[in-house]
Amino acid sequence: MINGWLLLLPIGIPWLGCLAVWLVGDRRPRLQHTLAVIFSILAGVAGLALIPWSTQRLTLLLSLGGIFDAFRLATDGLSVFLTVVATVIGSLAVIFSVDYMHGEHSLGRYYAFVLFFIGSMSGLVLTTSLLWMFVFWELTALCSYALIAFHNDDPKAVRGGIKALIMTQLGGLGLLFGALWLYTYTGSYDIPQFLGSPNSVPPTVLSWMAFGFLIAAAAKSAQFPFQTWLPDAMEAPTPVSALIHAATMVNAGVYLLARFYPAFEAVPGWRFAVMVVGMLSAFLAALMALVSFDLKRVLAYSTVSQLGFMVYAVGAGGVFASQFHLMSHSVFKALLFLAAGAVIHALGTRDMRQMGGLGPSMPFTHVVFTLGALALAGIPVLNGFWSKELILEVGLGHGNPTWIVSLMILSTGLTAAYTVRMVAMVFYGRGHQDHHEAHDAGTAMKTALIPLAAGTLTTWLLLGPFYASLKLSLPHHKLELNAVWEEAVGKAGVSEWEMTFKVGLEILREPSTYLVLLVVVLGVAAWLGRARLASLIATFRGVEKAAQASFGFEAINEVVVQAVQRAGEALRATQTGYLAWNIFAILLGWLVVLILTMLGRAG
Amino acid sequence: MLYALIGVGALGCAIAAVITKRLLLSAIWLAFTSALVALEMYLLGGPFIAVIELSVGAGLVTVLFVFAINLTGEENTYHSPSVLKGLALGCLLACLALTGYWVLPPTLVSPSNPDTQPLATILWEGRRLDIWLQAFLIFAGALTVLGLLRSAPQETSHKEENPDGLP
Amino acid sequence: MDYLDGVTILLVVLGLVGIGIYTLMISRSLIKIIIGMQLMVKGVLLAFVLAGRISGNMGLGQSLALTIIVVDTIVAVVALAMAVRVRRRFGTLDPRALTTLRR
Repeated sequence: MINGWLLLLPIGIPWLGCLAVWLVGDRRPRLQHTLAVIFSILAGVAGLALIPWSTQRLTLLLSLGGIFDAFRLATDGLSVFLTVVATVIGSLAVIFSVDYMHGEHSLGRYYAFVLFFIGSMSGLVLTTSLLWMFVFWELTALCSYALIAFHNDDPKAVRGGIKALIMTQLGGLGLLFGALWLYTYTGSYDIPQFLGSPNSVPPTVLSWMAFGFLIAAAAKSAQFPFQTWLPDAMEAPTPVSALIHAATMVNAGVYLLARFYPAFEAVPGWRFAVMVVGMLSAFLAALMALVSFDLKRVLAYSTVSQLGFMVYAVGAGGVFASQFHLMSHSVFKALLFLAAGAVIHALGTRDMRQMGGLGPSMPFTHVVFTLGALALAGIPVLNGFWSKELILEVGLGHGNPTWIVSLMILSTGLTAAYTVRMVAMVFYGRGHQDHHEAHDAGTAMKTALIPLAAGTLTTWLLLGPFYASLKLSLPHHKLELNAVWEEAVGKAGVSEWEMTFKVGLEILREPSTYLVLLVVVLGVAAWLGRARLASLIATFRGVEKAAQASFGFEAINEVVVQAVQRAGEALRATQTGYLAWNIFAILLGWLVVLILTMLGRAG
Repeated sequence: MLYALIGVGALGCAIAAVITKRLLLSAIWLAFTSALVALEMYLLGGPFIAVIELSVGAGLVTVLFVFAINLTGEENTYHSPSVLKGLALGCLLACLALTGYWVLPPTLVSPSNPDTQPLATILWEGRRLDIWLQAFLIFAGALTVLGLLRSAPQETSHKEENPDGLP
Repeated sequence: MDYLDGVTILLVVLGLVGIGIYTLMISRSLIKIIIGMQLMVKGVLLAFVLAGRISGNMGLGQSLALTIIVVDTIVAVVALAMAVRVRRRFGTLDPRALTTLRR
């Protein structure tokens, strides 16, 4: 039982730190930096300390009385893994912030919300009660909003924050209704119990829940048709983008789908819907990334696109593949964002047309950024390659529709193209005169970037142990690895690390791997040879225009906003702002309700 | 009979609190109402809550009111125009009459078995989350008051025009 | 406590709530409005204790009433602090001075 309290540490330590940093006050920025770093590193250690429990169940149950569900935490492979991601990448982002946020005002608010976020994210993945999951879900949305709108004197930042808040809240409703339905039919919010017997809920309700959760996940992970909030969220300070909008919070949607996959698997149409949502996000966002000029927006679109890959993988039945890609993606995308942060910090602009030729003046950033970019593009040996291959393998098997997987493979080509474009525009080509004195990343920045760069090179080695821990600790999930490989690795005496090796070899033996690599190379070649392909590109001019306008979704968004605003203006006349009339209206409402109930009783 | 007497007294104090023009008197009448309500609760068999109500409702809150009135200063309170007054009264009475009609006859059954569980068990075991939230709320309230009463620089000019807030 | 006493107490509850609402509607002073809120809450408290008595579960009635007292006190304190702040800022306690949000 004493071990159960370990589970509270990854939530409690950051929250304590949040309080501490905030109480220190903005007059002592040095102390604030130090405290934030200390607490986030402690949280990272607490997260890592949970790893031994990833294969067995460690639970903590705090009774909260009969009316509310008990506060329940439990470990399994999935939750420990995501806790580690949240706390470790969180602490790296905080270390990076020491340089990045140097000299900024209201540091207290910044660090407090970052630490609060880290704790909430750990809670979100560790809890086994759907009600508490919803609570933590909304807490992360709150932190995301507050940090996007951190520069609250900039109307664009505030707009972006509110947009993110509204969209994710809209999705959160799906989760809330799902939780309430579950409670109505089973009388408990317990997730493992529900996963074990999804049929305790009637089929219609189960499908409502399934699609409600899909909406929640799509809104949180900025998937189609909610993908427009993530690019606007790029007004946030860059470490926040790296932590919240690339490595952790946006993964919560994928986590939700993966966690509830066994329950919803059999719901007719659900898997197909998930695959289509993932495919559309992956494909459209890749196109948008290809035409955007804002460095952070390119990365944001790329995040949407990569999350689309994960969502697609869940729909295709590849829970393990999606989580493995999640691991790779959170490492290399955090690396990309933080490296981009170093560039932006040095230049003071996010427009890639203003950059170029930065290679010589920022050698360190150049190297790590390129490393992350290669992983994103899916070049072999880096972690992105292996996980993306796994996803596409899953898509090719299991009787999944071929046209969807072909579009996914096309998206990997587009990914390679926009990655090369991004690196070329930032680090190569003619430099701008005024950027020659651009300074390389500072010490704290380097401290944060080096582990991530090392992770990009090595996290794929964890494939075997990660698979083993998920397999052992998730009794209701049917984890896939290709049946043939399963046989190869399932033999007794094969250690987890050998498994990585064998699966890797198998991937290298698959013909489809080379098909994908060919597409990747074609994507790279398409960008490098764009001058020769000019006539071909000209025919796609329309697509480019459409992509720049987010394929009309931004317009739909605008129409909704306009309609709401006009309705608000029209209803303004009814708001006198005087308390007396408001109370009078309440009384009138009360009267109407009373009379109606009376009539109802009489009739 | 005793219940009726105390109840009428409470209502009278409440009316006095509303119609008096001076804020300080109003607060004191409120304290009397509170005390009488506490007495009624004691007679109903809730000694614990009666004590709390007496000390917090009649004591602490009144002290706070007096402090606040000292800070803001007495200000002549004008009431709304009589049209609104009439409208308000009419609507309110209609609502109360209907509610009374709703709740009065059927729900008042005679008391059955007395206390099933002791108060402490219900409070600390059955409603643990509520207790935590209350503690949190008290904390948040204290911080809010601190934030609200911290004098912001742009307000000093107002204070100089009207040093003690007195008219 | 007999039936008639119960009816009397319910009438007192309705009366207190009614007086509170009436105060909210007619007063032009923030502090008076807070007093009106307090009066309403007194009525509600009494109702809870009465409900506890009638249902024979006095403990639950009292514990809920306790929560209400806590919450209500915090509301009163924060509201009073806001009233003080309004007075400093606008020089009046009249809630009509606060309609600046309206264009």
